[in-house]
Amino acid sequence: MSKYQAGTYTGEAPKVWPAKVNQIPKEIFGDAALFEEELKKIFYGDTWHVVGHTAEVPNIGDFKTFDLGRVPLLIARGKDNQVRVFFNSCTHRGNQLETSVSGNRKEFECPYHRWLFSLDGALAACPGSKEFAPDFKQENFGLVELKTDQYLGLILVTMGKNTPPLKEWLGDIVPLTLSALLGGDGRLKLLGYQKVRYVSNWKGYNDNDGYHGGLLHTAFRMLNFQGGSGSQPMSVNGHWVIEAELKPAQNSGFLNDPSLIDFKVADPKRGSLVVQLYPMTVMVKHMDVINLRFAIARSHDVTEVHYAYFAHEDDSEELVQHRIRQSSNLLGPCGMVSMEDAAVFQRIHIGNHTPGVAEFQKGVVSLSELSLDMKQSDETGNLPRWEHYRKVMGFKREGEQ
Amino acid sequence: MSQAITAAHTSAIDALHTAYVAALDQGDMAAWAATFAVADETSYFCISAENDRRGLPLALMYDDCRGRIDDRVSFVTKVWVGTYQPYRTRHFIQRLSCESAGNNQYRVTSGFMIMMTPEGGATTILTSGEYRDLIEIQGEGDNARAVFRERRTVYDADVLPRYIVFPF
Repeated sequence: MSKYQAGTYTGEAPKVWPAKVNQIPKEIFGDAALFEEELKKIFYGDTWHVVGHTAEVPNIGDFKTFDLGRVPLLIARGKDNQVRVFFNSCTHRGNQLETSVSGNRKEFECPYHRWLFSLDGALAACPGSKEFAPDFKQENFGLVELKTDQYLGLILVTMGKNTPPLKEWLGDIVPLTLSALLGGDGRLKLLGYQKVRYVSNWKGYNDNDGYHGGLLHTAFRMLNFQGGSGSQPMSVNGHWVIEAELKPAQNSGFLNDPSLIDFKVADPKRGSLVVQLYPMTVMVKHMDVINLRFAIARSHDVTEVHYAYFAHEDDSEELVQHRIRQSSNLLGPCGMVSMEDAAVFQRIHIGNHTPGVAEFQKGVVSLSELSLDMKQSDETGNLPRWEHYRKVMGFKREGEQ
Repeated sequence: MSQAITAAHTSAIDALHTAYVAALDQGDMAAWAATFAVADETSYFCISAENDRRGLPLALMYDDCRGRIDDRVSFVTKVWVGTYQPYRTRHFIQRLSCESAGNNQYRVTSGFMIMMTPEGGATTILTSGEYRDLIEIQGEGDNARAVFRERRTVYDADVLPRYIVFPF
């Protein structure tokens, strides 16, 4: 039986959420004003954000630019081999310093007044400084660094004043799986990128679940891709980790080139590793694919994702070639078992411009209390993240004081 | 051009480009695959200009053997059916160079632009780019027919405006 709309649709995020922990108000996905609040409280707030991996800038002078919300970043490797993250802005009048996506420089020069910065950010030259303001001191005008920390080469930044130390923020459940995902020691080699924009809210982009796998992805059924045992712990600050066994797929003639789904070095017992770090970073090691997804919340309805793929520095040439062949065709915005996820990111964004709540069902055992573990085919993995988000954003639940 | 190209070969290469565009603009994946040689050493790559410029090997589509080209047909026609938001394309191409590579083969480069129309939506540019092809002429005279031994599609967009279903 169909039901009629209850209440009015405003398109505006409600200040009070339903009492049930498995219900998310749909209006939070399409509200432009809410996005401005999220920038302040989350993206510029007291949490860490993944912006890259040191393997993307392997040589002295290598750099890449990236954005945190609307804030432009410049990530560069100095002569001392340190990777630093600066605001991509000249310390003089604020001009965008570096315009390229990536490259190698001896120093960074602002073209406006030719202020010159060395790779470690120090202001090396500024023409006409004899006539500068009386309080000008060259050593005070180096590029401004963000608070940065690394985990096995993964680069994280924060602009918050009260962000907990990285180790504390990652907590207990993340490190074991994340280190395995990063090849054990983080000594990775960049293979390349697939970059794409989704017409989707950032919260919808990473609200994927364990329930949909065999249902949305036809290839899972065609190849009899069956998961085995595994664990899926979550943390109260919104991280979610998946370790799952992947039983060998049965091709039965469906693929002309079954090497796409070969295991070369991955242990099928830990065939699928996923680490989702709050608020929006997804990292995957699936079969022999190592995929870090650097994401940018562009607006309430545009999310940009840089799918970066890696090999390990110790890989044989043959293994690197296998990783390239598997990575390119399996898991990205055009991958055999992932294109449908991309489609859902956009379709769920359209569908959520309707009244009511998005409701999680599979694996929900209590309507009032959150579980921090789940079975492989449950869809509850992001519920602790939603709870954390709700608290950070200051939304109350019905009945809450 | 190191060696004069015959009118029959030029016309076969033109017909191949036309067949490729017609196949994709009609969403006909079998016809797309039919523009490639049947030999196992036949390839289709679709890679960003950024990866290409930086010498990064990873591609958006990495079909380095005939089997993978046929598998791509299955992805679109069997695996992804009913999940994606439909869109139509119009490809426009402009040949930039054509050089003999011997053995009835030619290295051909062309510029391309792909217009995209999502169902129910307005037409926008999906991306532009360059085709770098190794084209083989099979048969003689009036029966001469051109096929791709390799098509390397280097797309300009540093960031694509949507997820991708069809080859470029």
